[in-house]
Amino acid sequence: MSANRWLATGNYFATYKEEQRIFFTHTDRLIFSFFLVCVFVWPLVFETNNKYMLVVDNILIAMIAVLGLNMVTGFAGLISIGHAAFVGVGAYAVASVSRVMGNDYIFLTHAWPLMILLSGFIGAVFGAMVGLPAFRLKHLYLAIATLSFQMIFQWAINFMEFFNQGQTIYVGRAFWFTGEVGRNEHYIFWYYVILVILVLMGFMVRNILRTRFGRCLIAVRDNDRAADAMGMHPGLTKVYAFGLAGFFAGVAGALHAYLYRGVGVESFTLHHSITYLAMAIVGGLGTLNGSFWGPMAIKILELQVEKIAEHAGEIFPASTNLATALRPLSFGLVIVLFLMFEPRGIANWWRITRSYFKLWPFRY
Amino acid sequence: MKKHKMLFFRILMSFVVVLSFATSIQAGEVYKLALSLAITGPTSDAGNPYAKGVEDYFRFVNDTKLLGNDTIECTIRDDQYNNDVTKRNFEDFLDQGIVLYLNYSTGSTMGLKRDFEEEKIPVIPASFHAGNLIDSNYIFLPIASYSEQIIGLAEYVAKNHKGGKAKIALFIHPSAFGRGPVEDLTKAVKAGLNIEIVEVVEHGQDLDNTAMLKRLKSKEVQYVLCQTVQSPVATMIKDANSLGYAAKSFGEAGKITFMGAHYTGGNDLIALSGAAAENFFWTTSYRLTSEKSAGADAQLALAKKYGRDDKAANSHNYTNGIMVAQVATEAIKRVKEKGEKVTRSSLYEELNQMNGAKAFQADTTVGPVTYSKTDHAGVDVLQLYRVDGGVFRSVGVPFSSEYIKKIK
Repeated sequence: MSANRWLATGNYFATYKEEQRIFFTHTDRLIFSFFLVCVFVWPLVFETNNKYMLVVDNILIAMIAVLGLNMVTGFAGLISIGHAAFVGVGAYAVASVSRVMGNDYIFLTHAWPLMILLSGFIGAVFGAMVGLPAFRLKHLYLAIATLSFQMIFQWAINFMEFFNQGQTIYVGRAFWFTGEVGRNEHYIFWYYVILVILVLMGFMVRNILRTRFGRCLIAVRDNDRAADAMGMHPGLTKVYAFGLAGFFAGVAGALHAYLYRGVGVESFTLHHSITYLAMAIVGGLGTLNGSFWGPMAIKILELQVEKIAEHAGEIFPASTNLATALRPLSFGLVIVLFLMFEPRGIANWWRITRSYFKLWPFRY
Repeated sequence: MKKHKMLFFRILMSFVVVLSFATSIQAGEVYKLALSLAITGPTSDAGNPYAKGVEDYFRFVNDTKLLGNDTIECTIRDDQYNNDVTKRNFEDFLDQGIVLYLNYSTGSTMGLKRDFEEEKIPVIPASFHAGNLIDSNYIFLPIASYSEQIIGLAEYVAKNHKGGKAKIALFIHPSAFGRGPVEDLTKAVKAGLNIEIVEVVEHGQDLDNTAMLKRLKSKEVQYVLCQTVQSPVATMIKDANSLGYAAKSFGEAGKITFMGAHYTGGNDLIALSGAAAENFFWTTSYRLTSEKSAGADAQLALAKKYGRDDKAANSHNYTNGIMVAQVATEAIKRVKEKGEKVTRSSLYEELNQMNGAKAFQADTTVGPVTYSKTDHAGVDVLQLYRVDGGVFRSVGVPFSSEYIKKIK
C-alpha cells in the first residue's frame, strides 16, 4: 500500500482487506463527504420551489429503484423488464393499508419509516417469487418471465376492485416530530427522507458487493457453470438477486406513494420498466455510481425533450405527431447511441475523469 | 433664469406624475390562470383543439378588452397525458400564483383532487367523470357527467325502442374514464329504467372487433352505448358495417344501433370511420358548427381571427376549450363587477352562485351553465346528434336525464 493514503495513484493493496475498503483513499472519502454535505445543505442555501423539488425527489426515487435493478441486471446479469411492477408492489403495499384502514391511519401517517421498510420486504418477497423461474430459465426466457409479471401486475391492479381499478388511492400526510408535514414543506421533507434512504442504500449495495453474497452475484453473471463448480448455487443466487432488487424497488414504490400522496397504476407501467432499464444502461450496468448517473441523465433528458416538443408544437402547430414522436425518438436514440459508443455508460466517463485527476499531471 | 429653470422642472415633474398615473391605469390587473393537458401524446386529438380553444378565447378577451384594462394570462402546458407531469405542472402553476386552474384528464383530476382541496382552488377539468365530484368541493365539470350522458342515451333508447325491453351493451374504455358510468347506469336500471344491460365490454387496442360483434349479435344486443374515445368506436362501427350489423336508422330491427358520449363523437369520428359513421348517435352539451347557430358563427369567427385551420375550427373540443374559458372569464367579470378582488375564494364563491337568474348563458352550449354548492355539473342539458350525410345533425330538442336525479 502506498505510504500516502491521500495521493495514491494506483493499486498498492497488500491485503485482501485493503482491496475491500469502501474508500480507497482519504481524498475519495473527503470528496464524498464534501459532496454529501453539499446535497444536504443546498436546499437551505438556495431558494427552492415545489416544481423543482418534485423533479429532484423523483430523480432520487428513481436512483433507489435503479440501484435494485442494477443488482439484478448489472451485477447478476439477469434482464428484468418488470422492474416498475416491483416498484408498484411497494407503492400498492402502502395503498393497501390506506384502502383497508383509511388513508389517515396512524400507521401510515406516523409510522411511515416502518411502512417504507415493510413495503421493501413485500417487494423482496414478490421479487423472489418472480425470480423462482431463474432456477430453470436463463437469458431472454427469464426476461419474458419478468415481462409477464409486469403484465399480471398491471392487469390485477386495473381490474381488482380492492385496488380501485387502478384509480388513485390516496395516502394521508406524513407526521414528523414537529407535527403534520404540510404542503409547503412536503417536497423538501421528502427530499431529506429520500436522500437519507438513498445514501443508506448506496452503502448497503457497496457493502453487499464486499461480501461473499455480492461476489456470488458477479460470479454467477460471469459464468454460472464455473460458479456452480466453485460451490455456489446459481439458482438461489439469482432468486436472491431478484429478492434484493424487489426490496429496493419496494422502498422506491413506498416513497413514490408518500411523495405523490396517492397511488395510481399509470406510474408503474411497462413504459416505466423500460425507462428504468434505460437508466441502468445509460448510467452504466454493473456499477454503483451508474445507478445515480442514469436516472439523473434520463430524467433531465425527459425534461429537455418535453420543452423541445412543446416548442416544436408551437412552431409547427400542424405537426402534432412530430412533437409527440420526439420523446420516444430521443429516448430510443440515446439508448442506441450509448449501446453503440459507450456501453459502459456514464459511469465510465466518471471513471476516466477520476483517473485523469488521480494521475494528473501524468497521463499514465 | 433660475425662474425658468424652476418652471421647466415643475412642468417636467407634472408630466412624469401624469404619465406614471396614466400608465398605472392603462396596465390593469393580470389574472393568472393555467391549463395542463395533452397537446401531444395520447388523446392529443382532443387535447390539441381544446388548448387552441382556451388560448384563442383568452386572446380574444384581452384583445377586445372584455375585462377592461385587466387581462387574463393563461399558461398552457403540455403534459403528454402523463399524470406525474400534470402534477409537476400544477405545482409550477401554484408557484406562479394562479387563481383558477383548468385541468384535463380524468386520471390527473382524480389524482390531484386532494391538492385542489388543500389549495382551495377552483378547477374546471375537461373530464366529465362523475367521480371527480365525490369528496370534492373545488372541481366544476363544464357539462353533464359521462354518467348523465350515458343514462340520457339509455333513456332515449327506452323511450324510442319499439318492442319490449331494449337489450344494451356497453363499450367502454378500460379506465376510470370509461368505467364511471357503468355503475350509475346499473343503478338507473335498478331504479326502473326499462333496458337490459346484456354485456359490458372493456375494449383493448383491438384492430378488429368481428368476434365481439358476433357475440353481441348472438346475445341479441340491439344498442351499443360507447363511453371511450373515437378510434376504438371507429374500428367497431367499421367492422359492424362490414358485417352488415349496423342499423341504418334508430332501432332498426335485427341490427345494432351505435351511440356514444361526448368523447366518442365529433368530426374526428367521421374522419376515422368514413361512411361507417352514418347513423351513429352521439350526445354532448355543445353546439356544433355543422348546425347553424350564433355560437357556431362566433366560434368560426374566432378560429378565423386567430388563423386556425378548418379541422380545429370545427372540432367540438375547440368548442369545449372556448366554453371553459368563457366560464372562467364570466366568473372573473362578475367578481370584478361586484368590486371584489379576483382571488381563488372569490371565484369559487362566484361559480357557486352561477345559477337561477345568474346562470351563465354560453353561446357554445345547448343550455345554460349552472353551478351551486350542491351541483358542480355545468350544463345540465344534452343534445342528441346523429350522423346524416357525413355530418352530425341534431335529433330533437335538448333534454336532461331523469334517472340521474333518481339515483343521486
